[in-house]
Amino acid sequence: MSNFDSLAYFLPELALTVLIVSLVLASVLLKSDRDRIVWIISLAGLAVTAVLLAIQPATDQSIFMGALAVDPYSRFFKWIFLVATAVIIIASPYTKQLDGSQRHEYYLFLIAVMFGLFLMASSLDLIIVYLSIEIVSIGSFILAGFLKDDPRSNESSLKYVIYGALSSGVMLYGLSLLFGMAGSTNVFEVQAALVVLPEKAHLTLAVALLLILVGFGYKISMVPFHFWTPDVYEGAPTTITAYLSVAPKAAGFALALRILGTAFGSTGDLNIGDWSPVPGLAFGSVIAIFAALTMTVGNFLAIQQNSVKRLLAYSSIAHAGYMLMAAVILNGQAFGAIMFYLAIYLCMNLGAFLVTIFVHNRFGYDEIDDWKGFGFQAPLIAVPMGIFLFSLTGLPPTAGFIGKVYLFSVLIEAGQYWWLALVGILNSVVSLYYYARIIKVMFLDGEPTDETVTGHPVMTGLILMLTVPVLLFGIYWTPLMGAVQSSLKFFTQGM
Amino acid sequence: MAEFGFTGIAALVIASSFWVVTARNLVHAAVALMGTLFGVAGLYVYLYADFLAATQVIIYVGGILVLIIFGVMLTQRISSAVLLQTHMPNRPLAGVVVFFLFMGLTSLLFRTPWHEGEQVMPESTVTIIGTSLLTKYLLHFEVASVLLLVALLGAAYLSRREDG
Repeated sequence: MSNFDSLAYFLPELALTVLIVSLVLASVLLKSDRDRIVWIISLAGLAVTAVLLAIQPATDQSIFMGALAVDPYSRFFKWIFLVATAVIIIASPYTKQLDGSQRHEYYLFLIAVMFGLFLMASSLDLIIVYLSIEIVSIGSFILAGFLKDDPRSNESSLKYVIYGALSSGVMLYGLSLLFGMAGSTNVFEVQAALVVLPEKAHLTLAVALLLILVGFGYKISMVPFHFWTPDVYEGAPTTITAYLSVAPKAAGFALALRILGTAFGSTGDLNIGDWSPVPGLAFGSVIAIFAALTMTVGNFLAIQQNSVKRLLAYSSIAHAGYMLMAAVILNGQAFGAIMFYLAIYLCMNLGAFLVTIFVHNRFGYDEIDDWKGFGFQAPLIAVPMGIFLFSLTGLPPTAGFIGKVYLFSVLIEAGQYWWLALVGILNSVVSLYYYARIIKVMFLDGEPTDETVTGHPVMTGLILMLTVPVLLFGIYWTPLMGAVQSSLKFFTQGM
Repeated sequence: MAEFGFTGIAALVIASSFWVVTARNLVHAAVALMGTLFGVAGLYVYLYADFLAATQVIIYVGGILVLIIFGVMLTQRISSAVLLQTHMPNRPLAGVVVFFLFMGLTSLLFRTPWHEGEQVMPESTVTIIGTSLLTKYLLHFEVASVLLLVALLGAAYLSRREDG
């Protein structure tokens, strides 16, 4: 589609760029009450984006001469990014940690990151892949270091920059190898060139895949590219930690599944049920090893943590591993299972982090043992936390259980990778230990009191709202699975 | 003759970039970077990318490098700072890894059948670049500008002093 006609399909992204520019102007022009007004403008902008996304015609086609896809698949992820960004922006004024810093600029960077996420979910071109990852990364570097007076926030930002720069560089080298073999940056043209590659080039192809996985793996914190995760998550403002653990991770999966699935697939058509990699590439085994490593390392390091934030950081690594399990097979069912899990993971992980913010606001502490008796002091917050943690473990009747069942069933039906499913199940058992530890401290340790703690109604409301899908989709998940199934439609023709 | 020129330019790029990473004085490193950037411009000339070579010299050598040197000089204490990392226990292991990585990637370069484009020499590359930036790569260009805007605002935020 020509560039001018494409604009009609690019309205949500255009709204976001207009929002970015108006936030810059508002920050400069406003003299008083800047944080509040910018907050309102950001939420209004998100509402406009949501409307534009909702009325966007449900087509699947490529826009900007093959650079971006507008299809149900990208639209599904855009909704995830919208919800995550909206929740974080709504919660931010009620986060004490951010008091004293310039919140109005913080919203600006959040919106900019979201713009990058939108592009990540829909890119069909290797250059756009790189540029969108960089927009997300640079925005995240700044947000991680947003608390300028806090040395830990500075450290977090610096570590993020160094790891980010390294992994981007490695990924670019991998992309350049692909370009060298295919002579094009369009994923469909790359795929067409890769299937007819002579046997001599198969080693190069495998090396290119590994190098590209470094970049994608960094975004989803896949072991062994996860080293930045705990430090960045710990030092960053907790709202940002919550955001980073959900939105860029979902975008990383959206991008990796589409780009790897298309470029390295034997047909380039992701809509067909069965997927197989281009000849000469042991795609499944490579991903399987990374998945097993990711969940095991994440879980075993999480056990040793005493800080709730660090524990959730390591557990988010483990969750990336669970989702990678399904990416080993990469058929339609696997795509569905990953998207379903991401939608649930969004609710439960954001919820758990919001409770952490709540506790930090109220008591100013973060160690697990300090949460003693919290279940009695604030039952309205502690019970949802229990639900989030059970769901993260994958216990029925929560949505996390259903999500995990779908992930495991992908492997078990495929047959070949049953050992990986076994590793996954053992890992879930391990994760029960550390999630249940928080629940035990909250409800069983400490004395019952009559003193109840309340937070700001907005925070309480958000937390309660996030428990609804976690419980509802645990019992009646057909609507969500239906939405996922109807989103499993990709744009597949070149140009 | 062409072969000889290429070897010379490649040697310049490698030698000067080696100097950039080993120099202990930041100003020396910045000056050495000039050799690298000029050398890369030379490589572009060999690829018939005349316009790209000219932009490389104007933007990188003329603009960015001068900015870097100004930045180094105007920042207090940094211009005389000695960059020396003493604690590197993993150095031997890293050396082994890097050596094998280098050998592996180099052998890939020679054994892979690379894609070969049309072997025609264009009249002028400016027209081609201009047309593609306004057609096929229009979105890429605009997205890059958003990226730079975010980076600029972020740098301004992080380096600003918060006292009212």
